[in-house]
Amino acid sequence: MVTPLQKIRKKRAEAINRIISKGYLSSKRVYVGMATCEIAAGSKEVMQVFQEAKAAGLTDVYLSQKGCAGRCNLEPTVEVVEEGKIPVKYGKINADRAKEIIEKHIKKGQVIQEWVIK
Amino acid sequence: MKKEYVITLCDGPTCMRNRSKELESVIQQELQRHDLQEERVRIMLSGCLGMCSKGPVMIINPGYTIYGKVAEKDIPEIIQQHILKNQPVARLAIQEDHLYNRFFRIFGDVKFFGKQMRIALRNCGIIDPEKIDDYLSVRGYEALAKVLTEITPQEVIGVVKKSGLRGRGGAGFPTGLKWELTAKEQSDEKFVICNADEGDPGAFMDRSTIEGDPHTVLEGMCIGGYAIGAKKGIIYIRAEYPLAIDRIKKAIAAAYENGFLGANILDSNFSFDIEIRLGAGAFVCGEETALIHSIEGSRGMPRPRPPYPSVAGLFGKPTLINNVETWANIPVIILDGADWFSSIGTEKSKGTKVFALAGKINNTGLVEVPMGTTLREMIYDIGEGIPNGKKFKAVQTGGPSGGCLSEEYLDTPIDYESLAKVGSIMGSGGMIVIDEDSCMVNMAKFFLEFTQNESCGKCTPCREGTKRMLEILTRISAGKGVPADLDKLERLGTMIKKASLCGLGQSAPNPVLSTLKNFRDEYEEHILKKHCRAHVCKQLFNYEIVDKCVGCGACKKVCPTEAISGELKQQHVITQSKCIQCGNCFKACKFEAIKKV
Repeated sequence: MVTPLQKIRKKRAEAINRIISKGYLSSKRVYVGMATCEIAAGSKEVMQVFQEAKAAGLTDVYLSQKGCAGRCNLEPTVEVVEEGKIPVKYGKINADRAKEIIEKHIKKGQVIQEWVIK
Repeated sequence: MKKEYVITLCDGPTCMRNRSKELESVIQQELQRHDLQEERVRIMLSGCLGMCSKGPVMIINPGYTIYGKVAEKDIPEIIQQHILKNQPVARLAIQEDHLYNRFFRIFGDVKFFGKQMRIALRNCGIIDPEKIDDYLSVRGYEALAKVLTEITPQEVIGVVKKSGLRGRGGAGFPTGLKWELTAKEQSDEKFVICNADEGDPGAFMDRSTIEGDPHTVLEGMCIGGYAIGAKKGIIYIRAEYPLAIDRIKKAIAAAYENGFLGANILDSNFSFDIEIRLGAGAFVCGEETALIHSIEGSRGMPRPRPPYPSVAGLFGKPTLINNVETWANIPVIILDGADWFSSIGTEKSKGTKVFALAGKINNTGLVEVPMGTTLREMIYDIGEGIPNGKKFKAVQTGGPSGGCLSEEYLDTPIDYESLAKVGSIMGSGGMIVIDEDSCMVNMAKFFLEFTQNESCGKCTPCREGTKRMLEILTRISAGKGVPADLDKLERLGTMIKKASLCGLGQSAPNPVLSTLKNFRDEYEEHILKKHCRAHVCKQLFNYEIVDKCVGCGACKKVCPTEAISGELKQQHVITQSKCIQCGNCFKACKFEAIKKV
């Protein structure tokens, strides 16, 4: 008989495959905070900028929403995660800054130190 | 560009004892010897990393290599190999996979997060809360599968008891014992309830947990249901949290779809259903018996206990009721083990606690720290102190039911007993920092106003007592207090605490009693000198124009009562008898020429 533990391992493997098929292994992963607090601070517009950029042909980027990490006074927050590098955590991002992150960081690999949460 | 590294040294109590601090200076020297600047290698001190048996522990990111039992002599090799050649030293690396590590991988190099330990909030901010796949990928529902496969309900209760977990809703009742009591009852039907009726002003722990990681709550509830023999779970959440409700609904639907809820979960014999009940936002409904009444469709009012809900709860059936954060801890206890969980925290308070850090503090936010962390570490290390160079005055823990603690209590470790001993409570996790610009009398009044409003009115001490206390406080802050008022407040407060039916009344006087104890001089100033040192109580200070005035007339224009007079380019004056203390002139003056005296 298949035990629940065996079942869950299979389900997990399937889930991971599905996540990968959605581009998880892209060279950069972008997470936008989308809890009530982040949305109130304007994260929906930020998310929209990234979504539009992807629709307009930005490739090799995995985009996801996330819950609140708990950095209230620096919201909205955006993380850019890249294998083999320290994940970059940006704070107080608005639509204009999101566009700049795409141009500088995502496309050219230049981290915008000024907005990085340290 | 050369690769950047962050070296994290565990600064938890056990690692400290094993000389982790000395390691720091050795690393510094070694980095200097290789001329490695701070832009390339940063050293961070973390809070407890939960690997105490292998301390001192050091983590190098990126890559998240964990080095255990690090000795001074190993440092040159680690720097040489790992940092300079990017080859982790396999000989010294240890494999420790805890659920909370995932958060640390991404956020650990930020001081604010590095000092924390995220167990209940382990997935908040790293997974997409609306995708069950994301939760599954971080070992989601594995704890449930594990108990269904190899742990009997009795044993699950044993594990929770052994972990030392205590209720995170505020009272700190041992969770395992509660489960055991409910499991012991014989009944055709039992219920599991998740209390998500978070109502403290300034608290948002439960909301963030549900919005950031709803499945962990569901998984915890399923395990609870399995342990006590219940088939039905209810989440009681306030209607004021629309996004949290939306996400938990989506999570429930996804869990049904994937066989984690419903009949024969994961093809086992265990079936469990969860539904949502919305609360209308009454503070008292966070009290368990009032909450149960509200679910039953009655008015949300508490009733005397016993019988406790574990014996006669929802619809008279045995009911297990726990707070959101308590449920979120359960999967971790099952997967990482009770022994590991109980290695974190203090003797009587195990694990971590989530706080909503707010008020006059540089870093406001959601903080989860191991029990035993001091208030000072919380406010100055994680919160990074008070903004604008102001002085710390007090910290209020436990929301409107808690107490205000002054500076002398800053080294109090955060755990249930220590906080209670100094006259405050752990509560559900509100933590408000107050600086010198706040008036403690006004603060106490604010919290009492809240509890007085929220008192359900069932028992007299709470209904009448809080009202009378509020009247006295209002009188004092209006400059009409008399010395006997302080004794009256104390007597009333003590009586309300003793005689009230439920937790709301029993804790409502806390803000007043604790400020009376720790800030009595401010009350006396209000009463005897008719003076409010923080210039908050309007009737107890005047606005005056000093000689910095250039006579621009800006204040005169905004004064609604024409209390300000003066010629252009000459110092103006305020006619005190006309002034209503609205503060318009104070805000309008660009020359700091208006003072509160």
